[in-house]
Amino acid sequence: MRKAVSDRAFALALFLPALVALIVTTTAPLVYLAWNSAMRIDLSMPWLGGFAGVDNYAKMGADPRFWNSLWLTLIYTVTTVVLQVTLGLSLALLVLRIPRGQAALRVAAILPLVLAPVVVGLFWRTLVLSPDVGLVDVVTRALGLGSHNWLGDPQLALISVIAIHTWQWTPLAFLVFLASLASLPPDVFEAARIDRASAWQRFVHITLPLMRPAIVIVVIMRTMIALSAFAAIFAATGGGPGTATEILNLYAYRTSFSELNLGYGAALAMVLLAITLVVSLLMFRVRRRR
Amino acid sequence: MKPDRSSRPTAPARRRMLKQTAALGAASLAAPYVLSSAHAQANADIAPYTAAKIDWRQVAGEEITVAVIPASYFDNLVTLAPTFEALTGVKVRFEKVPPGQIRQKAMLDLSSKTATYATSATDPMYYPLYVSNKWIDPLDRYLGDSKLTDPKWFDYDDIFKAWRDANSYEGKPYAVPYDGEVTVQVYRKDLYDAKGLKAADTLDEFLKNAAAINDPANRVYGMALRGFAGAGQNMYIYPSLFREFGGEWFRGRKIVVDSPEAVRALDWYVSAETKYAPPAVRNWNWPDIADAFSQGTLGCYIDAHSSASVLVNPEKSKVVGKIAFARWPKGPTGKRCTSIWNWGFPINAALSDKQKRATWLFIAWAASAETQARTSWKFAGPAKRSGLNRVSLWKSPGFIAMTTDIGPNFIDAALTSLEKDTDVDWRPRVPQWPAIGDTMATAIQAALVGQKKSKQALDEAQARIDQILKG
Amino acid sequence: MKRARTVALVVLAAALLAIWAFPVLWALLTSFKTERDVLAYPPTVIFTPTLRNYHDVLFGATSLLPNLLSSVIVAGVSTLLTLLLAIPAAYALARLDFPGKRTSGFYVLATQMLPPVGLIIPYYLVLQKIGGLDTYAGLIVIYLTFSLPFAIWLMVSYFEDIPHEMEEAALLDRAGRLRALWYVILPQARGGIAVTTIFVFLNAWNEFLFAVVLGGNRVRPVTVAMFNFISVEQTLWAKLAAGAMLAMAPVILLGLLAQRHIVKGLTVGAVKGGGRR
Repeated sequence: MRKAVSDRAFALALFLPALVALIVTTTAPLVYLAWNSAMRIDLSMPWLGGFAGVDNYAKMGADPRFWNSLWLTLIYTVTTVVLQVTLGLSLALLVLRIPRGQAALRVAAILPLVLAPVVVGLFWRTLVLSPDVGLVDVVTRALGLGSHNWLGDPQLALISVIAIHTWQWTPLAFLVFLASLASLPPDVFEAARIDRASAWQRFVHITLPLMRPAIVIVVIMRTMIALSAFAAIFAATGGGPGTATEILNLYAYRTSFSELNLGYGAALAMVLLAITLVVSLLMFRVRRRR
Repeated sequence: MKPDRSSRPTAPARRRMLKQTAALGAASLAAPYVLSSAHAQANADIAPYTAAKIDWRQVAGEEITVAVIPASYFDNLVTLAPTFEALTGVKVRFEKVPPGQIRQKAMLDLSSKTATYATSATDPMYYPLYVSNKWIDPLDRYLGDSKLTDPKWFDYDDIFKAWRDANSYEGKPYAVPYDGEVTVQVYRKDLYDAKGLKAADTLDEFLKNAAAINDPANRVYGMALRGFAGAGQNMYIYPSLFREFGGEWFRGRKIVVDSPEAVRALDWYVSAETKYAPPAVRNWNWPDIADAFSQGTLGCYIDAHSSASVLVNPEKSKVVGKIAFARWPKGPTGKRCTSIWNWGFPINAALSDKQKRATWLFIAWAASAETQARTSWKFAGPAKRSGLNRVSLWKSPGFIAMTTDIGPNFIDAALTSLEKDTDVDWRPRVPQWPAIGDTMATAIQAALVGQKKSKQALDEAQARIDQILKG
Repeated sequence: MKRARTVALVVLAAALLAIWAFPVLWALLTSFKTERDVLAYPPTVIFTPTLRNYHDVLFGATSLLPNLLSSVIVAGVSTLLTLLLAIPAAYALARLDFPGKRTSGFYVLATQMLPPVGLIIPYYLVLQKIGGLDTYAGLIVIYLTFSLPFAIWLMVSYFEDIPHEMEEAALLDRAGRLRALWYVILPQARGGIAVTTIFVFLNAWNEFLFAVVLGGNRVRPVTVAMFNFISVEQTLWAKLAAGAMLAMAPVILLGLLAQRHIVKGLTVGAVKGGGRR
């Protein structure tokens, strides 16, 4: 009995400092944010102050720009995660066959991961995607595909920011999958080969199930990152052209800091928080089921 | 497998580190010496200021922080800070904030009354917003106080009227202009001469010139105007076109952005950029245009006169000596409209009285004829300011001598534009400007990239602006 | 047949290498060019290199050395603090039981989801009230908000991976819980701690938004300072590249030196029944 109590005391002693630190640093701002979202605060029209209740949230329902940002967030998140997983897995599978190249590739893979996203966005905007002098444009013109306004054309802009995000984070998926694949027990594959299973069958029925935990972890990690992506898109397009790359995160930022409508911006941020929470809950439930 | 040597620094790395530490150490030892000689220098320099019949040292001992953006015209001022400190005994600290964040940081400070920044370089379109929130003090009190301003020495009326008006709201001045610019035509005199062209006098001629020079196969484009979306970017050029086409921002008290004139102006903008500008122009801000021009790929552009400094830099530019300047071409209404942009310094209302006086002394010092000259042709470094705030300085021999090599007509075009072509209501001066400017910028870009037709883009902007104004 | 396939794979690997490494390599190249060469078209690969940019960026008026120091202090101390708080907390969550474990565990998870966009203003106001703006202490504490939850959850998965038997053996040894933790468990989680350290440091080093709003003249990490090469008048590309190289060098070095750790550590919890560790 006493051991149980002292056990719990020990556990709390280990856990509480972190918890307290978190409560202090996150609860106050969170409360402030929630409070702001229920107020009308527009710095450019200070005479319009006062309690708004759920008005800000109601306004969202009728705001086409909000729905646009939700839609873009969905596309952005799903596309980047799917791309990262498929590319990462395929590349890992292929690279597994060239053991001597692996070391060099692992080193190269680290490079995009350690760069600051804001620098990545800026770099891609100015040196890679610039029409005319950018690297991509030089290549497409050499290939006869013509010059395009990669970040200025609304359709291309979304593709471009997805490409930037995928470029930076696929190496992570790649590295995880490479290491996981390397640790798979070879005897299962041997047995399958003896059984005359084709490469595709081996992949679908053996590799994939064994890789499931790794894939799930990567999907969860990358989804969280995609939902909170900000710096790279901000540096690359600022949410433009127009609102073509304005994911919810950026919309909230622009509303608060460019349009100075702090109340509405806070409400948007709360909605983003809610979405992220729900999504992460769902994903963790999926993970725990296995 | 290689042994793990990652834990110990290798010998070359250690040596390099030692060298760098030594360099740092040497620099820090030298610093006091450098500072004290600067101090001696500064003492000799304050004579022109002490001619003013005010007590510069009335709030000696105060400390103020000034926020500026990274730009050569502020850098020059920062190097002169020791002079100000020697003159007033007030310590001034500068903080350089990236241009994309300075408005936000200044507003965070002003709205929360934290009094972190005594003053900051301010966008003139933001004064209505600041004043509505009572974040800054009206300056008539300081200008009229004989203990703080010597009217003959300071000569407030010598500062360009257009900029003084731009920094005033509801009849009262709220900031003193420090550095400003006008938008002018900048063109390749050699290319024009070769084709027998003259600087465009009307917008139609502008297009004709661009068509004549335009040669995309040889990487030479006829013209360029900013396309980058932003209240201070494409929404910096469009208003000039809008006014030249006869547009009015207000109908009564309502803001109207989709009038027929607005659509015509936007159509002109879009078609000119589509036909005669490099395809990348839709993402370009003025440094990009200046870079392109300096590499010889543009025939003409319209933008700030101060962009000339990039063009005459022999390190970067290939077109030194081939440039000429002219005023904005006339629109269909016969009107020329240039920008009234200037960076001004207001006074943070949340400061204590002594700090406000210290800030005023700083502002007066920065905007004084002497300091303006010292950051311009009297400046020892390579980047000499050309956006001076006073008429008298633009006409002074020192300035003229400094700018003769830039190109024919430089001073004439800029000065005449400043005196005749400015329009304070060139953009709608309302507190909601940040949101409105942003909305318009989005609409303009949507039209520029061909995503929407001009009328549709402007109609959508109108709808959103109506909503913004309703709050 | 097999030869052809190997060649194809090698080509693919080379392409991959190029795609992932080229920005860093390009920035490196650009940092040795003069501003004029940078604007040259077509972009030049052969040119006369100059050290001027690095000289300006290290020792000139716009030296980044104080900013590098700022970054080191902020990232280093916040990482240390994070580890000190997160490791015990993660162990408690992974292995021990205590009242309110599920709710507080969920709370820790939820705090990771807070959008930075919404937090900037409250942080600014709070820091201002306690005089923490533009101070190291202020910024470091704010960085905890995103590194602490992340570190806790990372370490939880590592702790969960340590076989129960090892723990029980240590406890049976009458070693006492704290000693068991310190001498037995932690060494087992060494890889995980290394990975967590690296990622937390990385995130802190690369942070931009919080640094620019909540910092100022005194506390200006290198990610913010770099942007001052983008003035309103012109972008000094070569200097920016040199500055970027300086800003990236420490983390690139860290990443390269630790990449084996990172790779090993990333697979924790990702493979069930691996059993070889």
